[in-house]
Amino acid sequence: MNVVQITPFQLSLAYLLLIFPAAVILWYGVGLMKPLLVGAVRMTVQLLLVGLYLQVIFNYNNPWVNLLWLGMMLIVADVSIIRRCGFRLKRFAVPMFCALTAGIVIPLCVFVGLVLWKPNLLDARFVIPIGGMILGNCLRANIVGIGRFYQDIRKDEKLYLQTLAFGATREEATRPFMADAFQAAMAPTIATMATIGLVSLPGMMTGVILGGANPDTAIKYQIAIMLSILCGTAITVFLAVQLTARKSFDCYGVLQKDIFAD
Amino acid sequence: MKSVSPAIDVQALCLGFDKPLCTDVTFSLEPGAKVRIEGRSGSGKSTLLRCLLGFVRPLSGQITIFDKPLTPETLGAIRSRMAYVTQEPDLGTGTVVDTMLRPFSYKANTHLRPTDKDIQDRCEQFFLSRELLTQKIATLSGGQKQRIALIIAILLKRDIILLDEPTSALDAISKVAVAEHFYRTDQTVVWVSHDTTAFDKAGHVISLDIACSQEVVL
Repeated sequence: MNVVQITPFQLSLAYLLLIFPAAVILWYGVGLMKPLLVGAVRMTVQLLLVGLYLQVIFNYNNPWVNLLWLGMMLIVADVSIIRRCGFRLKRFAVPMFCALTAGIVIPLCVFVGLVLWKPNLLDARFVIPIGGMILGNCLRANIVGIGRFYQDIRKDEKLYLQTLAFGATREEATRPFMADAFQAAMAPTIATMATIGLVSLPGMMTGVILGGANPDTAIKYQIAIMLSILCGTAITVFLAVQLTARKSFDCYGVLQKDIFAD
Repeated sequence: MKSVSPAIDVQALCLGFDKPLCTDVTFSLEPGAKVRIEGRSGSGKSTLLRCLLGFVRPLSGQITIFDKPLTPETLGAIRSRMAYVTQEPDLGTGTVVDTMLRPFSYKANTHLRPTDKDIQDRCEQFFLSRELLTQKIATLSGGQKQRIALIIAILLKRDIILLDEPTSALDAISKVAVAEHFYRTDQTVVWVSHDTTAFDKAGHVISLDIACSQEVVL
């Protein structure tokens, strides 16, 4: 494939793009300069390391190593979601991990096994980048979904308790909150899907085109990945809320405050 | 003569969070009893009602509703015999009529679904116009929301009604209409209020300021 190579010098020119955001930050005097610089450095170091790592993993291409890599990605996503939403890790780590795993494995099997028709489901070339794309979107959706579900119940505690007091079971009382959380989590993915190609050329399609494939192939990959992302986010958000809810309410249906880290 | 089981039996209840709000609260209410709970702010009046519904755990003591001790196993059966209205009811979103009918979509209440006439009659009883039914609940005043919540509680036809300052936002005429309704009903009514004139014909008053070892049997 005709991939245009980027030399270290050429890459360093890309950092010129930081000048404008840095200038605006300085001009407004907002405290974003340090996070911007730390973020840029972290991104560079992390991606360089991951690049080296992936090179080894791709060359080795051992299913168990690939599985281990996927597992590590899941653990990092698991911890990130729980920390970001302000929950106690101990309370949510296992159910969230299960939700994420289901949300990755199902669309991955369909994408790699059925769409690409690859018998080796754990081929590094597919499982790691495609898994990563689905997982990244699941992470974003879950931060919105699960965060919204519990914050709303805490914020609207009076409404929730009033519902229980009018005879609703815990499942009936939490259902509207679950529906709202699901809607909030899924809306960005659905909106992206509706405008894709018109507003943006998404990452995978760009990557496939830059990798030398023709746009026709790139579009097919993009359609498959969008459907995988949609399915993965729906599964993880649904399961994350359902599975964590089992451990988050006491036997009287009241939300346990100790799920929150603050 | 066979003795009647108390509707609510509270024994040596100690309520509080970090420290006790009130201790050794004991009372027993027969079915149909009307009682007003009073006490200074922070004495545990609202907490007592929340405790009867299982929303708050007592520090010690026991609650029995119609011979059933309040436990996770009996909770569903107990809550389905109670209705609860707070000072500032949060009734969610949607139109007034949607809000009024929502509790009747819960499994425990489907058989109680009221007719349009039931709803309109109750609205009339509490001086709410029919036109209000199609309005958004968010546009209602505090007093209107209180009356909507009270109407839902009445339509649910529970044996026990727990009311926490239910008329605080009502004008004098509406207050009387609400109080008169609950005096006349054969339900057990527990009415929490600072206002000594509200529900002043209640059979008994329980003061949480002097609740220690107070035994009330009605």
